[in-house]
Amino acid sequence: MGNKVAELAAVMEHLKPTVVFYLGPIPVSTTVVTTWVVMAVLVVIALVTTRGMRLLPRGWQHLPEMTVEFIYGFLEGFMGKRGRRYLPLVATLFIFILCLNLSWLIPGAKPPTMDLSTTLALAVTTIIAVQILSIKDVGLRRYLQTYTSHGLLLTPLNVLEELVKVVSLSLRLFGNMFGEETVVTILFILVPLVVPATIQLLGVLFGFIQAFIFTLLTISYLAARTSEHH
Amino acid sequence: MEALAFIGVALAIALPALGSALGQGNTAGHAMEGIARQPEAANDIRTTLLLSLAFMEALTLFSFVIAILLWTKIG
Repeated sequence: MGNKVAELAAVMEHLKPTVVFYLGPIPVSTTVVTTWVVMAVLVVIALVTTRGMRLLPRGWQHLPEMTVEFIYGFLEGFMGKRGRRYLPLVATLFIFILCLNLSWLIPGAKPPTMDLSTTLALAVTTIIAVQILSIKDVGLRRYLQTYTSHGLLLTPLNVLEELVKVVSLSLRLFGNMFGEETVVTILFILVPLVVPATIQLLGVLFGFIQAFIFTLLTISYLAARTSEHH
Repeated sequence: MEALAFIGVALAIALPALGSALGQGNTAGHAMEGIARQPEAANDIRTTLLLSLAFMEALTLFSFVIAILLWTKIG
């Protein structure tokens, strides 16, 4: 029993990202390496499934077609036909975050979204992209109007809300994945057999949901900033 | 004095979880009522339900992060 207490105290060490090697002066952690592996796998799958792409898909081409159709369905639901312009950003976010979360299934790998760096980078990039895309599409004046449309008093609150979106997007994804890994690690110390694997499966489901939520929220933020009536 | 920090961490997890459970249970209940009343709208309701659940979950997660921060600083 005393052994387990000592192991539980070491849980925090297991949850921190460890540095694997150095690229010159820059430390490269397991998070980054896993992200690279996921990126390589995604690129290879994309190239292989779209080789000899034809208008009526056959064989493996169905996989990217199904994925894109699924995401475009939500884009259309929120924004109608004009959502087509944002499909690259939204689909990339969904597929990338989904695969990052699914990398937990590789034995020994920790999902990179468990590291606040990854989720913060994703959130900051996404919110900046939302601003830039909406300025490009509705023009600077209408974009600024989306902040000031509810009155002078609420304008600083609207600006603050945009910054809070970064925090909430990153912390939501981070908290879910980090929490799941913490639970699985602690369960692994207490009950090494069937239980951690079952909870990890639940964690994978949550990873799926969180990728979906991140994407859905991005779509709704885009819809809000590029909305046409004010 | 350290005991208070431990109590703080425990409360930081427990209270938001309580609030989130109440809120999410309420939402899910109403969503089920909606689906039961109009099964054709099930897909729309399901999407909105997931979105709302994520918002409520996020509040709990913010306090979870603070609790972890506090936990690593004890002792």
